[in-house]
Amino acid sequence: MRYIGWTILITFWVCLAAFLHYTLPHRDIVRIVSTYEERQQLNDWTRIFWSRPDEQSDAMITRDVQFIQGVRANGKPIVYRNEDTGWSWPPYFKFDTANLYTEAADAVSTRAAPEWYVVTHYGWRNEFFSAFPNAISIRQVDGPDASKGIYWVNIIILALLFAFFYAIWVRWRRFRQARIDPKLEELQDSWEAAGDAVDEKRGRFRRWLDTWKSK
Amino acid sequence: MALVRLLFIAFVVLSVIYLSLSLYSRARARDRLEAEYDAGDFDIPRDAYVRAGLMEYDSSLRRKLILGVYIVPMSLVCLIIYLVNFA
Repeated sequence: MRYIGWTILITFWVCLAAFLHYTLPHRDIVRIVSTYEERQQLNDWTRIFWSRPDEQSDAMITRDVQFIQGVRANGKPIVYRNEDTGWSWPPYFKFDTANLYTEAADAVSTRAAPEWYVVTHYGWRNEFFSAFPNAISIRQVDGPDASKGIYWVNIIILALLFAFFYAIWVRWRRFRQARIDPKLEELQDSWEAAGDAVDEKRGRFRRWLDTWKSK
Repeated sequence: MALVRLLFIAFVVLSVIYLSLSLYSRARARDRLEAEYDAGDFDIPRDAYVRAGLMEYDSSLRRKLILGVYIVPMSLVCLIIYLVNFA
């Protein structure tokens, strides 16, 4: 029973953490290398890693998606998709995909003369599922070691979420102490009383049996 | 259509919050008035006092502030749209 409870609890928190890590914005400093467009198959479960920019896109099995290719300061590649989120989840309300594509194309630089950009994005890069983070905006910075800025949005959302769960937890604990714990104790007391009574009976029976034994 | 769906869901969720919040707030106002009446010395009957107090509450600023349940998320959406697309 104890293990089941812990498993459910840990699963819940891991799922919540993964969900938040996927949905909340992150920032990378990259050198933008190129942009391209590629037709994508969207008819299996990896559909969840792509956006729903508009109503028509729901019915489509394949769709052209824009990508932005970058290289991090450590030389590792990162590819972003560039899709409208529209009015659907996650609530970034991004409609300026074409503008961002233009900005990214304008921001391309070579290895010899690098220009560095902060790319704000959400989502994960996963090679096995062909999942790409969705770029939200880009902004030029001085160099690869420049500050990415403070994650105010994440701080506010996580603080509100923490306050929400803390409020629930406090109320639940108070409710348990006031209503459930006394009932459980009552139950335990009566159970123990019943056990004592049984022991008492058995003791008497045992003593009666013992009287038959030869001394 | 996605916009209509979002507006519909937001309207339903926010209306539930608005309704529960306004009922809760009104119940608290009633409790406060009843406690006030019990503590003080009044000539008028108890429910007349409470009813007059609640009518005053109905036209108070506190009750109108609960409309923020609709206004705050709408402004937030507008702010996000501006920051993501035009800033």
